Amino acid sequence: MDSERYNRQLILQGFGEQAQKKLATAKVLVVGAGGLGCPALQYLAAAGVGRLGIVDDDIISLSNLHRQILYTTGDLGKLKVTVVKARLTEMNAEVHIVSYPKRLVRDNIVELLGEYDVVFDGTDNFKTRYLINDVCAVLKRPLIFAAVSGYEGQLAVFNVPDENGLATNYRDLFPVEPAVGEIPNCAENGVLGVLPGIIGMMAAGEIIKLITGIGKPLINRLLHYNLLNNEQYELKITKGEDYQLPNSVDALLSADIGHRGYIEIDGEQLDSIRKEKSSLCIDVREEHEFPRLDKNIYQQFPMSNFNALLEEEINEKNIVLICQHGIRSVAAAEAMHEKYGNTKNIYSLKGGIAKWHNYLI
Amino acid sequence: MEIEIITFGKIAEFLANQRMDVGEIRDTDRLKSYLENSFPKLAGMKYKLAVNKNIIQYNEPLSEQDSVAIMPPFSGG
Repeated sequence: MDSERYNRQLILQGFGEQAQKKLATAKVLVVGAGGLGCPALQYLAAAGVGRLGIVDDDIISLSNLHRQILYTTGDLGKLKVTVVKARLTEMNAEVHIVSYPKRLVRDNIVELLGEYDVVFDGTDNFKTRYLINDVCAVLKRPLIFAAVSGYEGQLAVFNVPDENGLATNYRDLFPVEPAVGEIPNCAENGVLGVLPGIIGMMAAGEIIKLITGIGKPLINRLLHYNLLNNEQYELKITKGEDYQLPNSVDALLSADIGHRGYIEIDGEQLDSIRKEKSSLCIDVREEHEFPRLDKNIYQQFPMSNFNALLEEEINEKNIVLICQHGIRSVAAAEAMHEKYGNTKNIYSLKGGIAKWHNYLI
Repeated sequence: MEIEIITFGKIAEFLANQRMDVGEIRDTDRLKSYLENSFPKLAGMKYKLAVNKNIIQYNEPLSEQDSVAIMPPFSGG
């Protein structure tokens, strides 16, 4: 480690050699080498983070350059991760830069997150954000969340327990993923270049604080920043109970959340969702089928007359569909999803009453 | 009863920061319905309420001069 390179941070009160060593052994994965990712990467590399992984499958285009100032006009058409790796290595060869020229998806997320201690979400769409959040929450992997919209930014640190042992994640803020087009992204809404610069650098600051143990990271707090009036507004995040994540990543990724529009759950998950305030459980079997369930808990709406239910407005946020083997309930869940989109959490009991009768009777 | 409303992102475009007389409304569930009726665009959006800077997960009572923040999700990067 070149101590002269880091001299100005080494001599900081409360930082020193210990903190620098922590940085040198830290492994940080940055997802998205765009407006948020670029500034974070530059400062993390300069500060001497030991290993920096970068995931992005995008190439550099002209409309990126006003805010992704790591790239030059001569880089147009090149892969972002290739340019990032070259530039950051030039800047600080002590940092081990690993580039992943791919899109982070369900099939590769576990492998990509692999050995990284901290994940930074600098992506630009809800689908990837919810995927990163859910996997990091299940793995209890520290996640730095940053996002921008217009002249405003948000920043938070997830999955890191506070002094009371409480750890929160993005679903404690927004349990249900917004539908495509519901919230505009930068391409639709515009963004002033300095805004992701500021938020991305703040994120790098949070990452350095988290790794070195200095200061007070934004644990269980959402910071909102408004560039136009230079105001910050901070919200304290508490644990929400209107969402359910499985206990293992395997279960999470096979649940296929968001892909099919409904989530297949097991008996244990049914048990906890059922007890939530805003849950409606619907038995879609015909009147004559056994075993009979408690009608006060499981309202009966047979498939033969399911359209009547679709014509009614359901107020509950969670809708759980069950049937004998979990096949008709999937059809019912699909119909519910078609009607309500992503405004509700829709569940189908996988394997049905036949498999989970101990939880139901 | 008067409360303070603080809005962010797209929500601020149709519901500006303001002091609002909410009449007899004394809890966040009723405030939500009231706001969604008065500002129909809000009903179609995802957002989280915070009372005096604390995110709320359940229906919470409201008091005179409480500040209620309405925060939407951002996705841009």
